[in-house]
Amino acid sequence: MNLFKRETGEPKSQAELIYATQQRNERRFRANVGLSWGFLLLFLIFLFSGNQISIGGLTLNTIHLDGEFIRANWTFIAGGLWETLKISFFSIAFATVLALLAALGRLSTNPPIYALSTFYVSLIRGTPLYLQIFFFFLALPQLGIILSGTLAGVVALGLNYGAYMSEIFRAGLSSVGKGQREAAMAIGMTPGQTMRRIVLPQALRFAIPPTGNEFIAMTKDSALVSATGFVHELMWRATKVGRAQFNNLEALIMAAIFYWIMTLILTALQSRLEASLSKGDR
Amino acid sequence: MSHVIKVTDLDKFFGRLHVLKKVNLEVEPTEVVCIIGRSGSGKSTLLRCINFLEEPSSGTIEVDSLVAAAGSKGPAHRQLVHDMRLKTGMVFQEFNLFPHMSVLENVMEGPVTVKKMERPQAANLAEMNLDRVGLLFKRDEYPNRLSGGQKQRVAIARALAMEPKVMLFDEPTSALDPELIGEVLNVMKKVAQEGMTMLVVTHEMGFAREVADRVVVMADGEIIEQDAPEALFKTPKDKRTQALIDRYRTGGQDPG
Repeated sequence: MNLFKRETGEPKSQAELIYATQQRNERRFRANVGLSWGFLLLFLIFLFSGNQISIGGLTLNTIHLDGEFIRANWTFIAGGLWETLKISFFSIAFATVLALLAALGRLSTNPPIYALSTFYVSLIRGTPLYLQIFFFFLALPQLGIILSGTLAGVVALGLNYGAYMSEIFRAGLSSVGKGQREAAMAIGMTPGQTMRRIVLPQALRFAIPPTGNEFIAMTKDSALVSATGFVHELMWRATKVGRAQFNNLEALIMAAIFYWIMTLILTALQSRLEASLSKGDR
Repeated sequence: MSHVIKVTDLDKFFGRLHVLKKVNLEVEPTEVVCIIGRSGSGKSTLLRCINFLEEPSSGTIEVDSLVAAAGSKGPAHRQLVHDMRLKTGMVFQEFNLFPHMSVLENVMEGPVTVKKMERPQAANLAEMNLDRVGLLFKRDEYPNRLSGGQKQRVAIARALAMEPKVMLFDEPTSALDPELIGEVLNVMKKVAQEGMTMLVVTHEMGFAREVADRVVVMADGEIIEQDAPEALFKTPKDKRTQALIDRYRTGGQDPG
């Protein structure tokens, strides 16, 4: 207990003391987590450092990476970042539109519209994303529709994510209370005006943070598009140089690092966005 | 034609529940009518049927010489309901301000979106109505920064900005902390004194006694008695009215 008296001469209230303790415990926890992260990262780097260590009679070899290959190819692989982000951006834009339409359909009282929405979501969620990408790239040409790898990827990713994201928008639309619609109708708004002016703005604000999460997930699922062989994003570039020179280990590790850093940056942006939205005018 | 509202033989069913039974009610211009009654007596439903937030099961509703019959369908009926809503302003128990708009935008929304008024003109109108409820200084705040009483006063300004023929109040003070009820009742009293026709569903007996021209008592989906407040509170004819008055007399003092 004399721990507390050391800091200042003035007596502190019990609430202040408890608060200070909580703060210190929280800081200590965060510092320890950060430290442990550092150790884990160092360990991982050490694991791939290519060193030979002898402890007593025991000799330990860590994994050796081809530094020359990495130096020669990292700019080529990094060049895929832009393509990855581009595909993800267009796909999420397409998915957002589809998700909103599907959510509106799901809340519709018109049977064919409700059916169309649920049918779409069921069909897409009932088949693999990998299959959907190949379907648009490889199967459609048989019907005379030829899509570029990028376009096929965007269509498939957009359709796929749209189906999953429709739940987000449905929750957003449902989060706007009945009273809001009634207030809008009472001042004479039509159903269309009520939707555009009152319900959608509130629903979209609700839906922005989870949509950000979907975008982050999308940047990684976009790697599947490399399977078409014609989209030069991160994954495609990594497998191309890796296979050609039997350096798959180095190539994939590089791609993994790029994906990871990209995710870390986007997650940081996402939490900023979320913080600024939550302090808004709710 | 001397009435602003005329409800004729109004029936409303919720499933098998018969909540309004052949209700008839007229409200004259500039008249202030308070509807009192226990919870579940159908008083809110009656109010909500007048601007078709609830679809009546049978009967007719007349607002300022527009007449709509229950159960009608189609574009002509929808247009009629729309026109009738323009003649009625509604204030809700839960305020229902638009949280994504500032106070001023809340009040401007109806004139701009529904009446297609130019924004500067609508802003003037909104400011005038905010001034009426004493909240012009909050024009740029968002609803989450207002107290319950202030929210309700903005909601009153929002309804007034549509320049309705009659104002409908659905238990406007029931969701408020006791110390905030007075400011809302004062604004309502002021609006009444300015000559607005008002139909008020309320539990505030003090307000009914002081401001109403007529008090309507509802029980079990029917109007059981109506009279000027003096007479009604002094010599109620129905036992249920007596019970209602007694309960509030013992339940605390009258605000306002």
